Amino acid sequence: MMKKIIISSVALASSSLNAGLVPMADQELQRVNAQAGITLETSSHLTVGDVTYTEDANRLQLQNIERGSQADISLPSSSKQVVDVLADGSLQINSEVYPTSLAIGAIRVNDSAASFGQFRLNYSGTNLIKVGASSSAENFLEGSFQTSISDAELIWTTNGSSVSFDDIGYNANITRLAIGEAVDGSRRGLNFGLDEFSYSFSTGGVKLGGVSLGTLAGELALSGDAQIFAGGRSGSEGISLNASLNILDDPDNFVRFTDDGNSLFMGNFSGALNVTNLTFDVMSDHLLLGYDQLDGSFNANEILIGDSSNPVGAIQLDFLFNDGNGYSNRMAFYPGIRQPVYANLPAAIQPYATNFYSALNGSSDGISAAVEWNLANAEVAYIDNGRMVVVSGIESYGRGDLTLDVRSFDHDNNGGTADKTAIAMGMNRVQGSYSIDGLRVGNKTAPIQGGAELLLSLEVFQAMDFNLDGYTLITAGGVSGGGIQIDGDYLFSDTNIGLSIDENGNGVWATGVDYDIHLRGIQVDVSNTGLSMNRTEQWSTMNVDNMRWGDKNSGRSLGRIQLERFEKGSSLTINPGGSGAVCVGASGNAATCENNGGRWEDRGNEGMTVALKAAFAPEGPTSDGSIARNRLTWENNRDLDGSGNPVNGTGTQIIFDSYSTSDGLGVSDSNDYGFQANLKIDVYETKVAKKFTGADDNGVIGNQGDELIYDDASRTTYTYVANPTAAQLALRPQGFAVQGNVSFKDLQVDQVQLKHPDVAMPQTVFSGIVMQNMNMTTNLTATPIR
Amino acid sequence: MKRLFIIVASFWPAYVFALEPLSSEDLSAVSGQGGVYLSGDITINENGGPLNVDGPSANGYSWQTSCTAVSTDKRCGGRIAVNSGTGGGWLVLDNIRGRFSFEGLTLRTRKIDSGFTGDGAAFNSDVFEIGLPNNLNYEEVSYTIANSNSARPTDAGFMQTDIMTVNINGKANLQGNLLIFPTGAP
Repeated sequence: MMKKIIISSVALASSSLNAGLVPMADQELQRVNAQAGITLETSSHLTVGDVTYTEDANRLQLQNIERGSQADISLPSSSKQVVDVLADGSLQINSEVYPTSLAIGAIRVNDSAASFGQFRLNYSGTNLIKVGASSSAENFLEGSFQTSISDAELIWTTNGSSVSFDDIGYNANITRLAIGEAVDGSRRGLNFGLDEFSYSFSTGGVKLGGVSLGTLAGELALSGDAQIFAGGRSGSEGISLNASLNILDDPDNFVRFTDDGNSLFMGNFSGALNVTNLTFDVMSDHLLLGYDQLDGSFNANEILIGDSSNPVGAIQLDFLFNDGNGYSNRMAFYPGIRQPVYANLPAAIQPYATNFYSALNGSSDGISAAVEWNLANAEVAYIDNGRMVVVSGIESYGRGDLTLDVRSFDHDNNGGTADKTAIAMGMNRVQGSYSIDGLRVGNKTAPIQGGAELLLSLEVFQAMDFNLDGYTLITAGGVSGGGIQIDGDYLFSDTNIGLSIDENGNGVWATGVDYDIHLRGIQVDVSNTGLSMNRTEQWSTMNVDNMRWGDKNSGRSLGRIQLERFEKGSSLTINPGGSGAVCVGASGNAATCENNGGRWEDRGNEGMTVALKAAFAPEGPTSDGSIARNRLTWENNRDLDGSGNPVNGTGTQIIFDSYSTSDGLGVSDSNDYGFQANLKIDVYETKVAKKFTGADDNGVIGNQGDELIYDDASRTTYTYVANPTAAQLALRPQGFAVQGNVSFKDLQVDQVQLKHPDVAMPQTVFSGIVMQNMNMTTNLTATPIR
Repeated sequence: MKRLFIIVASFWPAYVFALEPLSSEDLSAVSGQGGVYLSGDITINENGGPLNVDGPSANGYSWQTSCTAVSTDKRCGGRIAVNSGTGGGWLVLDNIRGRFSFEGLTLRTRKIDSGFTGDGAAFNSDVFEIGLPNNLNYEEVSYTIANSNSARPTDAGFMQTDIMTVNINGKANLQGNLLIFPTGAP
C-alpha cells in the first residue's frame, strides 16, 4: 500500500529567513497569552525538476515546477507566517503570501510524449489555520480554516495557446474541520468532517487569448464529511473516497455568469451529493477515475436570465448514477490528444475529423478522456408560479472518447485576419442511449402519465439511441461585449429517435437516422432581456431510413424521409416570463373575455419565452464550398437488398424542393424577418372535458362535456363535474400552457416534384407555392392524457 | 386540414389515413398509454400580418396598412398562391383570417389488436391517433378564392380576379378518431 512521492532536482535560490525567537518564562508566557509566538518571513525562488507520484509502478509526473515572484517568476517571492499557541492549547498559523507565481511545465504519465499542458497560478492571499485537540474521542484533532485569495489568475496552456481565469477572488471559511479514523468493513482510513463551510468566489473574466467570455461569481454554504482509504480500483495501490456533501439551504447561495453587464443567475439553492467508492489510480498511460455510486439532489429556487425583474421559476433535480445496463461510471484521462482511427469514423464526418486534428500530433498537449456512464434514474421538476411538472424516469448510458485543448483558430476562414484562440472539444464514437418514462404533473408523487411529446417543441425527444461524432471550437466574443462563438461539425449516425412512444417503448420511431449538422459563427450572448443565440450560418441533412410505427426495429415503416436545411442569419432567444394573462378562445380582457366566449387565464409572471427565427436561404454555396438547400423528400416503394432492407433512392419520391423565406419580394429580396416562432411557456390548470358519456379507462363515470377535477392536491384521484366551483377549478389538471405565434412575410417553395425510379429526373407537380403575410397566434394548453 | 389529407392521399395509393368511429369500448382498450390532450385556439391575422407593418412597395402595390380585428382591407389577411404549371396562372387563397377554437384534440400512439368487429386482431399494429375535438368553433373565418397571373401582388403587371369569398361562423361537431399508420411497401 505504499505510495511514493519523489521530489528531484530541487533548487532553492535567493532565500532568506528571518525568525525572532524569544525566551519565555512561565510568568511571561501567561502575560503574553494570545499574542504572536513565532514570525517567519521568507523570500524564495523555487524550482523543482520533477515531482513523481508512483502507484503500482506507474508514475504521475509534475515537471518543471517553478515558484517565484509574480512580476518575474525567476525572482524570489515573499510570504510571512505567524505561528502561535492559543490559550486553549491549539496551534494557530496565520500566513500571508505576497504576489507569487506558481508554474507547472508539464504533467505526464510514465514519461508520456504528450502532457496535460502547462499550468500557471498567480496569486496573493492569507490563511488562518487553527488546529487543536478533538472534543470527541472519534477524532484525532479538530480545527478551523480560513483562506482568502485575491487578484489571482489561473492559466492553462496547450500548444502555445491559453485560456485564463483573471482577477480571481476566493474566500473559504470552515468553522470546524475534524480529522479522525474511518472504518469501512476491514478498511481503515481517515475521516474528514466539515461543518459550516462557507465559500465564495469571483472572476474578473474568463479569457481566451486575452478576450473575455464573461465573468463568473458565486457563493455557497456547505457541510459534509469524507473518508479516504488506501487502495484504488486497479492494482494494490491507489486512493478511494466516500463522501457526503450538503449545500445548505441558504438564501444567499448563488452562481452568476455575467456577459457585458447582463447576467445568468441561479440563487437560493440547496442540495446534497453522496459518492461511494470514488477511486483514483495511475495506470500505464492514463489516470483512472471511477465511482460505484453517485446520487444527489439539487433545488434552485431563483433563476434569472438577463432580466432581473422577471424570474423563470424554480428547478429541482434528483439523480442516481450507478453500475447497470452493462455500463459503469469511469473516466480515463490521457495526457495529450488521442486522435481517432479515422477509418472507423462514418465517411460523412471523416473530412471534418481529419481537419479538426490536422495541426496536432502524438506529442501535442491537451486532455483526452475515455468516458463511460450509466444514469440509473433522474427526475427533473420545473415549477412555475407554484405549479410543478416533473420529467420522470430519465435513464441514460453510453461511452465514448473526448479530447480538449486550447489552440489557434482561423475563425472567419480568412487568412488575412488574425486567428483567434479557441477551446477545441472533440467527441469521437460517443455511443449512448437515453429515455424518458413520462411526466408527473402537480407533485413528484402524482401518477406517471404520458405526454413527454410536449417536449418535442423544445427539440427534446422521448428516447434516443445515438452514435455521435462532433468537433466544436469555442472562441471569445458574441455579438456585443463578451459572450462566446461556436463553430462545429456533428454527425449522428445509425440513430433511433422516439418521437411519440408509450411505456413499452412502442410508438412512432425515426430509425436509421443519419443527421449531419454544420454550425458556423453561432454567437451566444446574455442581454438585458434574456439569452440570445445568433446563428450566422448552419446547414444540415437529416436522413430517416424508416419512420416506423410500433417497435423501433420491426414496426411498419412509412418510408424514408430526408430533410435538408440551409439557414443564414437565424436566431434563438430565451427570455424569462411566460404569457401572463390571456383570453383563450376569444378576444378580450379580464372583464370581457368570458362574455366573448373565451376563458380568462392569469398564468403569473414566471415562465419562459422561446423566440425562434429561421431564415431559410435559397439554394447556394455554404462557407465550406458545398451546395446546400432546404428540401423535404419522402420516399417509399423502395427495392429491397439481399437482407430485405429497403434501398434508399430506388423508390418513388415526393420532393418539396428548395423552400426559402424572404422579406416579401422573393429570393432576390433581403431575408431579415425569416420564419418566426415565439413560444410563451407556462405551467397552468386547464379545462379537460369528458369526450363521451360513461365510464373512462379508470372506471370513473361522467357525462360528455363534464370537467375532470382532482379530488385533492395530491392529484391522484378525480371525478367528473358538470359545473365546477371556484375551489374545484383550482384542481383542474395542469399542463404546459403555450401561447405561440408563428409568422412570416414570404415563404416560397420553388417546386413540388414527383420522381419515379424509372425516370432520371423528377416531374414537377407545382411550379411554385408562395405564402405571404401570415401571422398565426395560438393559445394551447397541452395536458398529458391519464 | 382535411383538404391537405385529400391531396396527399391522391398522390399515394398507400392507405395511410383512416377515420375510426369512437366508442367507449375502444377507448377502454387504450388504458395506460401516453398522449397529449390539447385545447385552445388558433387565430390567423387578427391584426394583420408582418408585411402590413413594414412590407415592401413595388409596381404600384404597397403591403403596408393599418389592420385591426374589424378591418376589411384584403391586404390584412394571409395569402397562398400555387402554380400548377410553368408559365401558367396561379390559384390563390387570399385574405385568410379568422379564429378556430376547440377543446379535447388528443394525440397519441396506440396498438390496435382487438375490436373493429374482428378486424382489429388481424390488423395487430400501432397507429398514431388524432382524437377529434367534440366541438370546433369558427369565428369570422374567411378567405377569398382567386386567380392571378403572378405569385405576388408586387410583381410587375400583376392582375388578380377574385372568384368568391367564404366566411364561416359557428360550431362544428367532430367525433371519432383519425388514425394514421403506414401500409404498403416502405
